[in-house]
Amino acid sequence: MTSITPINYYQQQLFRIREHHFPLEHQVAQVVSAKQFIEQHASSDINLDSIAGNAFFSKYHFIRIFKRCYGRTPYQYLIEVRLQKAKQLLQSGLSVSDTCVSVGFTSPTSFASLFKKITGLTPGAYSKKSNFR
Amino acid sequence: MKIKLSSIMVDNQDKALKFYTEILGFVKKTEIPMGEHKWLTVVSKEEQDGVELVLEPMGFEPARTYQKALFEAGIPLTAFQVEDVVEEHNRLSGQGVVFSTPPTAMGPVKLAVFQDTCGNNIQVYQIL
Repeated sequence: MTSITPINYYQQQLFRIREHHFPLEHQVAQVVSAKQFIEQHASSDINLDSIAGNAFFSKYHFIRIFKRCYGRTPYQYLIEVRLQKAKQLLQSGLSVSDTCVSVGFTSPTSFASLFKKITGLTPGAYSKKSNFR
Repeated sequence: MKIKLSSIMVDNQDKALKFYTEILGFVKKTEIPMGEHKWLTVVSKEEQDGVELVLEPMGFEPARTYQKALFEAGIPLTAFQVEDVVEEHNRLSGQGVVFSTPPTAMGPVKLAVFQDTCGNNIQVYQIL
């Protein structure tokens, strides 16, 4: 990555924000690694301890740093990744119950409720709409 | 209510279409002649049913002042997400595109800013 001296207003603001609002470089690297861990294992039974353990943080410090970087907690991000995958599976014609299990949810009620919160539709309605097109 | 369009001001629509399709790699979606100007949109090659970017003619004089001020301050008018900022920087530089900000790390994001030859700075970013 090139190191530059700010030459315009935008670069000055970028560097100010980076210095004052983002964690240290090695902490960012650990958070990025944790995010990748979430993406790779989203459908498994992972919890915050395993994610934080993988990133070598204490749990609460990890949540704080992750949120500073991505604007959401690791758990919120895990749900987001699972729901994105669920959308793909429903579009491909998989049933709601199979999708729920495939993406890592254990409770169909919780799956339906979170899915509706994010997409505005229930998994069943989303599936019908996708497969009607 | 849905977000289907986003727009950028360009000083010349034909030049903009050439840059946004031939250099950046977008695809022309709609072109409807409207006298001096036209309704002109492009979409991402990977998401051709996604949000359309309107290449809007600079028909309103105060907009020119606004565009110039943004440009001189190095502020991007908009930003496009890419898989790999360094790769895009190398690809576009190789085609003569001028970058005002080379690939730069901003926490968990890498970004770079280039000039679109139509009066704007455009940012590309990669979320790590």
